[in-house]
Amino acid sequence: MTDRQRRDARAGEALLAPALVTLAALAAWPGLWVLWLSLQQRIPIFGIDRFVGVAHYVFLAGDPRFWNAVRVTLTFTVVSVALEVLLGVAVALALQRQQRGRRVAVALLLLPWALPSVVVGRTFEWLYHPSAGLVNFLLGGRAVNWLGEPALALPALVAADVWRTMPFVALLCYARVLTIPDAVYEAAHVDGAGWLATVRAITLPLLRRVLLIAVLFRTLDALRAFDLMFVLTGGGPANTTETLTVYAYRSLFQTLQLGFGAAVGAIVFALVMLVAWAYLRAVERAEATA
Amino acid sequence: MALALLLALAGCARSGDERAPITLVFKHAKILGPADPVPGLLRQFEARHPGVRVKPESLSWNSDDQHQFFVINMEGRGAAFDVMMLDVVWVAEFARAGWLLDLRPWVSAEELAPHFPSTIEPATWNGGVWAMPWLMNVGMLYYRTDLLARHGLAAPRTWEELRAQVARIRAAERDARLDGVVWQGRQYEGLTVNALEAIWANGTRVLDDAGAPLPDPERAAGALAFLRSLITSGASPSWVTAADEELTRRHFGDGRAIFHRNWPYAMDLFQQAGSAVRGKVGIASLPGRAGVGDGVGSSGGAHLGVDRRTRHPELAAALVRFLAGAEAQKAMSVGGALNPTRMALYHDPDVVRAHPDFPAIYELMLRARPRPVTPYYLMLSTTLQPEFSAVLVGVKTPEAAVAQARRRLAYLLEGLR
Repeated sequence: MTDRQRRDARAGEALLAPALVTLAALAAWPGLWVLWLSLQQRIPIFGIDRFVGVAHYVFLAGDPRFWNAVRVTLTFTVVSVALEVLLGVAVALALQRQQRGRRVAVALLLLPWALPSVVVGRTFEWLYHPSAGLVNFLLGGRAVNWLGEPALALPALVAADVWRTMPFVALLCYARVLTIPDAVYEAAHVDGAGWLATVRAITLPLLRRVLLIAVLFRTLDALRAFDLMFVLTGGGPANTTETLTVYAYRSLFQTLQLGFGAAVGAIVFALVMLVAWAYLRAVERAEATA
Repeated sequence: MALALLLALAGCARSGDERAPITLVFKHAKILGPADPVPGLLRQFEARHPGVRVKPESLSWNSDDQHQFFVINMEGRGAAFDVMMLDVVWVAEFARAGWLLDLRPWVSAEELAPHFPSTIEPATWNGGVWAMPWLMNVGMLYYRTDLLARHGLAAPRTWEELRAQVARIRAAERDARLDGVVWQGRQYEGLTVNALEAIWANGTRVLDDAGAPLPDPERAAGALAFLRSLITSGASPSWVTAADEELTRRHFGDGRAIFHRNWPYAMDLFQQAGSAVRGKVGIASLPGRAGVGDGVGSSGGAHLGVDRRTRHPELAAALVRFLAGAEAQKAMSVGGALNPTRMALYHDPDVVRAHPDFPAIYELMLRARPRPVTPYYLMLSTTLQPEFSAVLVGVKTPEAAVAQARRRLAYLLEGLR
C-alpha cells in the first residue's frame, strides 16, 4: 500500500466516523440497554428491581404462550411474504404488458401502500364485519366469522397484510422491469421465444436481485408485525394471532413487566438480525454470480 | 437596535413573571358525545380562582394508549401535568406505584359518600383517597320491548329464562336475520368484563379477599361453559367471539338482535332520530342464573387523580373536587351524554328531563360491582383474556382454561408479593 492509499484510507475512516457514531448512539446503545434490561426483574410500579440473569429466557423456553407467538409470527411471515412476492411479480409483469392507463394503474397500486396502517385496520374491520361486511356480502350473505374463528383469523390478517404491502413488491419489480432494454426482448422474439419462455429466461433472472431486496424488507417487517393484529383481533381468538411483538407489548406496556417484556423484545431483535444476516449473505452471493 | 430589542424582550418577560398566572394541566381522554362540557367548566373554575389557568390536553380515546402515555410519563419522571382522568381500573395500580397524590388532606369520607359505592372502593384502595369518582358506567341488558310485548314476555331475570325467550321469539318471528343475544367476546378488556359478569352471576368471583385467583374453579368453569353454550346453542351468533361494544351495538341498533349487553351510552344512540329501534328498547339488570342469584353489572368509568409531583397540590385538589362536585357533574350530564357518579343526580328533575332513563339506570348502578380492585388488575385481566377466549371458540374446555389461568396467575402474583 502506498502512502497515498494509506492517507486515503485514513481520510475515509474519518469521514465514516460521524455515521458510525450516530448509528452506535441510535441503534447499538438502545439495543444493548434492552439486553441489559432483559436480565432484570423490573416492575417499577411495584418497586421491584433486581438482577435475575437469564431467568426470563429460561421461563420463556418453557412458556407455551411464547412458543405459540413464535409459531404465529413465523407462519404469518412465511405465508404473507410468499404471497406478496408471487402477486407482486405477477402485477409487475401485467403492468409491463399493459398498453394503456399505466399511470393510473400505478397510482391505484400505490394507494394501499400509502394508507396509514390503522386506517387499513379499520377498513378491514368493516370488510370482515360478520353481518354487514363486504366480504360476507360477496359470499352470498353467509355470516362467516372471519376474525373470531381460530382457523380463519390468521389467514384473514395475512390477506389484509398482502393487500397492503404487495404494491411495494410490485413497484420495485416494475421499476426493474422498465430498465430491461427492449433490444433484449426483441432478440428473444427473433429467436422465436414465446412470452412464457421470455419471462422465464430473461425477466425473472433479471429480477432476482431486486426480489432479494424486496423479500428482505418484507420479511423484516413481517417478523415485527403488530398493528394489524392489535387493531383487528387483539391477538385473539385464543391467542391464535398473537405475534411476538404483541406479546412483548402486552408484557411491557399493559402489565409493565419491563424486564420480561425486554426479554421478548430481545428475542425479536435477535430473530430479525439473524434473518437479515442470512439474506445479506444470499444477496452477496447473488451479486457474485450476477 | 439589537440592544433595544433585547431590553424590550426582557421587559416583556419580567412583566409576564409579575402576573405569574399559575397553569394547571388537565390530561383527559377525548370526551365523546354531541357536546363537550369540559371547557366551560374549566372557565368556571378559573373565574373562581383568579390567577389560575387550566390547560386541558386531550389524549386519544383508546384506553390502551392512555395507559401507555401515563406509564411512560410517570415512570420517566417527565410528567408535565397536574390532574389526570384515570380509567377506574388503574387507580389502585397508580396508587401502588406512588404516582398519585393522597387527597386525604382535602377530601373527607363525607365528601365521597354521595357517589355510588362501587366507585368509592377503587378510589379508597388501601386506606388512602387516590382519586375522586367522575364518570360512571354499568353493564346492563338492552331488550326489544316490542318483540317481548308481542309474545307476552317480561324482561328475563335469569339467563335460562332469556334463552327460552330467544327460542320462543325466533320460532314465532321466523326471521332468519334476527339473532338472540349479542355481547362482547373479542380477546380484550370487554371479554374480561363479560366473563366477570357471568362468573358473578354463577355465584363466585375472580379474586377472593385474600387475593387468591378464581377461588371456586368449578363455578368459574360453569360460568364459562354457559357463555360457550350461548354460542353453540345458537342463542348468540358465533361472531360474538370477535365482537366489541360498537360491533354489537350496531347490530342491535339495526334491529337484528332481541337482547344486547352494553354500557349506558348505547341508549342515546338507539333513541336517535332515524334509528331502526327508536322507542322499542328497554333496559334491565343483567340476568342472574336460575337457582343461584340475581345478575350484577360490572361498573366502569373514570376517576380524577392528582400527579404526586404537581407543584400546586392545593389547586390541583381543588380542581378535582370542583369537577367531581354536584354542580360540575350536573353540567356534564345535562349538557353531554355522560353518566355522573353522584347518586342524587339520577333523580334530579333537570337531569331526568334530559335523560328519562336515569332513574332506571340508578337502580343498576347502585347494585353494580367494581372489577377486582387490585394494583395487579391489568395483569390479571390480560392473563385471563386468552383463556376465556379459548373457551368461547371451543379450543379449550372450561375446566382446562380455568386450571391454566389459576396456575399462571398464582405464579405471577406470587412473584409480586
